[in-house]
Amino acid sequence: MGLPHHPLETLRPLSETELSEWEEAYAAVEAYLQALRLRNRLLVAELVRAILWRASARGAKEPGVPARVLAMEETLSEIANWTQDVLDEPLENRRLAARGRLALLLADMPGKWQGVFLTPSPWPPAFKEAMCKSYLAAGPHFAELTMIPKPLELNVIGSGAAQWWETMDRRPIVRKMFALFLLALIGATVWFIFFK
Amino acid sequence: MDESSTDNRMSVRPFFSPFLAKLRRLVFFGSVVVVNLAACYWLYDLFTRLGMHRAHVLLLAVFFILNGLLVLGSFHAIFGAWDILWGKKRAVRITKLAEQAGDGPLAKRYAVVMPVYNEDCNRFCARIEAIYRSIEATGRLDSFDFFILSDTRDLDLWVLEETAWTNLCRKLNAFGRIYYRRRKKNSNRKAGNIGDFVRTWGGGYEAMVVLDADSLMDGGDILKMTRVMEAYPNLGILQTPPKLIRGSSVFTRLQQFAMRLYGPLFIRGLNWWQLGGGSYWGHNALIRVKPFSEFCELPDLPGREPFGGKILSHDFVEAALMVSQGWEVWLAWDIEGTYEEAPPTLIDHLKRDRRWCQGNLQHLWLIFARKLPLTVRAHLFMGIMAYLGSPLWFLFLILGTWVAWDREASGLSNLPYDGTLVDRYFHIDGVTQSLILTGFIFLLLFLPKILALTGAILVPRVRRSFGGMFPLIAGVTLETILSMLLAPCVMAAHTFMVAGIVLGHAVGWGSQNREADGTSWGEALTVHATPTILGIAWAVLAWNISPTFAAWMSPILLGLILCIPVSVWTSRARYGKSLAKRKVLSTPEELNPPEVLKLADVANASIDPALDASASGRHGVVAAVVDPYVNGVHVSLLEATELGESEEALVERCLTMGPGAMSKDEMIELMYLAPGMLALHRAVWLRPAEGIHSTWTQAVESYRRRIDTGSPDDIA
Repeated sequence: MGLPHHPLETLRPLSETELSEWEEAYAAVEAYLQALRLRNRLLVAELVRAILWRASARGAKEPGVPARVLAMEETLSEIANWTQDVLDEPLENRRLAARGRLALLLADMPGKWQGVFLTPSPWPPAFKEAMCKSYLAAGPHFAELTMIPKPLELNVIGSGAAQWWETMDRRPIVRKMFALFLLALIGATVWFIFFK
Repeated sequence: MDESSTDNRMSVRPFFSPFLAKLRRLVFFGSVVVVNLAACYWLYDLFTRLGMHRAHVLLLAVFFILNGLLVLGSFHAIFGAWDILWGKKRAVRITKLAEQAGDGPLAKRYAVVMPVYNEDCNRFCARIEAIYRSIEATGRLDSFDFFILSDTRDLDLWVLEETAWTNLCRKLNAFGRIYYRRRKKNSNRKAGNIGDFVRTWGGGYEAMVVLDADSLMDGGDILKMTRVMEAYPNLGILQTPPKLIRGSSVFTRLQQFAMRLYGPLFIRGLNWWQLGGGSYWGHNALIRVKPFSEFCELPDLPGREPFGGKILSHDFVEAALMVSQGWEVWLAWDIEGTYEEAPPTLIDHLKRDRRWCQGNLQHLWLIFARKLPLTVRAHLFMGIMAYLGSPLWFLFLILGTWVAWDREASGLSNLPYDGTLVDRYFHIDGVTQSLILTGFIFLLLFLPKILALTGAILVPRVRRSFGGMFPLIAGVTLETILSMLLAPCVMAAHTFMVAGIVLGHAVGWGSQNREADGTSWGEALTVHATPTILGIAWAVLAWNISPTFAAWMSPILLGLILCIPVSVWTSRARYGKSLAKRKVLSTPEELNPPEVLKLADVANASIDPALDASASGRHGVVAAVVDPYVNGVHVSLLEATELGESEEALVERCLTMGPGAMSKDEMIELMYLAPGMLALHRAVWLRPAEGIHSTWTQAVESYRRRIDTGSPDDIA
């Protein structure tokens, strides 16, 4: 542990604004490592410090870029590069980030391998194997079948009813007239039963 | 899959002799018709004594249908009892057929598919886990793949499903064995969901076990079913009779007790006449994939919804299409390890019924379809009448009230004329005759309960499985009383449903409430106000006609008047638990849970704090953006695409205005955009708090808070 090539003598005085900016950067990097479920506080602290040293070095070359941006860029690129080295497969940049994080999860880095996280090779073979074989597939290879609906064959009554029904659907005036006819029929029946 | 499976079956004789099948159907339906005609004639005879009234013709017509349904139900129980007592050797036993098929490796591959729609992912994953472990215990897991087929529209639930599935696969080491797929468009609902699976992957499997999100099946029984499917190439669908489980409210416990005690009689009775022309109930069934793909794509019905358009109750129709093409559909009555859950309250039950009602009424079209065998039409007819029966009963009661009103107003005595046919031949006076007929109707109503209770008391194994004689009798008594109180309320609700559908109100697709959190008084008042008012008004009218008439009507009127408190009380889980303590309304599965239920109870593989999209402050969609792992899982399941200018603008808007400012369609578009989700993830971590919406900064902060406060889930 530790970064012996960064002795305390190299520190320079920082303004309140700078301190506040780097505090925010520290918090963001630490939160990201927590989000990766790194449990060990010492390990997290060491990784945060290492990343912030790098970001700080970059900051000297790129003045005006916020400390948080520098620190988080360093974090994300470090993780992406490291997972690419472990996975040892060429991946397009955008997919790499997701693939790398997925591999960390599926290989159970938070549970079994947090001590290996971001360390240089060689990595334990079991870890490397677990990382490499981790993938997600929503389904097996396609084995397609066709499903074509066959039209409903109705008998004479059904066909007549279907034609009538569809006519009523197409022509609201017919539907309304039919509804009126039905109401009149019901009214006539009720009158016949109750009052006649 | 064996390409020739469809042809193979042509060379195989049907399992059930067509002559025997026809004979059984003739005996069964013949008995129903004869008994119904006799009862109708008897009523006609009584009406003649009274002096025929105009309403009597209508009453007789409605009585013919209603009594027919009653006789049909009771005769299922009678024939079921007969079959249990004397027909055991002749009934098809899946267990026996599976034993005969041997215990070697399965020749074909099988899929276990669970369509889900806005469900609690941890609960359905627990069921998948239990089934997985149960099949694993049989040693034949290699022949099975599992599919979670999501039609979930809630975006947060979508993310939760992805994480639950990933955790499940991680814990069970089941990547490449359990799959998760979400449809972009959930066209044609559940039938479309299954159809999409069949079109995409169906060719890789001989048959599929279709489950519901609340289904649970024993692995050993699934294996038996697959063996039978392999042994009998004519078999298209093997439907199991699922038992209701996990009832905590009084309402659910009533249902599961009744189904468990009386159900076997009806199931055996149904199986007695349907034989190879059975039906499919939508889940807990094994379906041969090839004929399903060939014949079961559902046609649209003439016209628009609610009567036309897409078929809602697809299961009956799929079985009908299968049977009409010569495939056999069996009811696997002796499969024990098949379970499902029921809606927890009366109101939830009625909501589900609203959907089923529309679906079943659509089947009216199929009654007029060509080439459908009798059994199929019988199933469709029974399904339709399950809902049309209610308005008919309502009409019967109205006509009865009217006759009583008229009779009272006329001042005539009720039974003035002796000398009808029954009187001449049997010398039974009118009063006795009416009492006998009433007694006969009551006997038909209660016969299934009496038969089932008697059987359970007489068989020590069954009696003990229900907790003993006292809990059994107490359960049947309570179930009978509450069913009588609930029936009028259900009748009124079904009547309104049918009326609504006739007036053109189509139903949407809602997810089911499976939690027994009870019905509030306000909700009950809103839902049941009309039946209650109707009941009170009817009671006043009945009392005015005559106290005797009011007394006759009281079972129905009480049910209507009390439907609000009954609905609320039966929804309460605490009363259900209190009954459970005394073993009242308990079922064998509750008192002695089978292995697969125990597995489901302890199943928690889908829950892992390492991959969690349910934490406070970063739930669902927010987690899919902020959390490195949830984002990784989500993006890995998306297709690779490029980010255009409009998509970049969408990402920026989501970033600055938060997900709440986006429309649902925009969020769906964004969530299907892999580079967009990656860009969002990067930006929420990179940008200072001032540049992004507070939803994201709070979510990022939440990781630090866990450490600072030392909360229990602190990087567990």
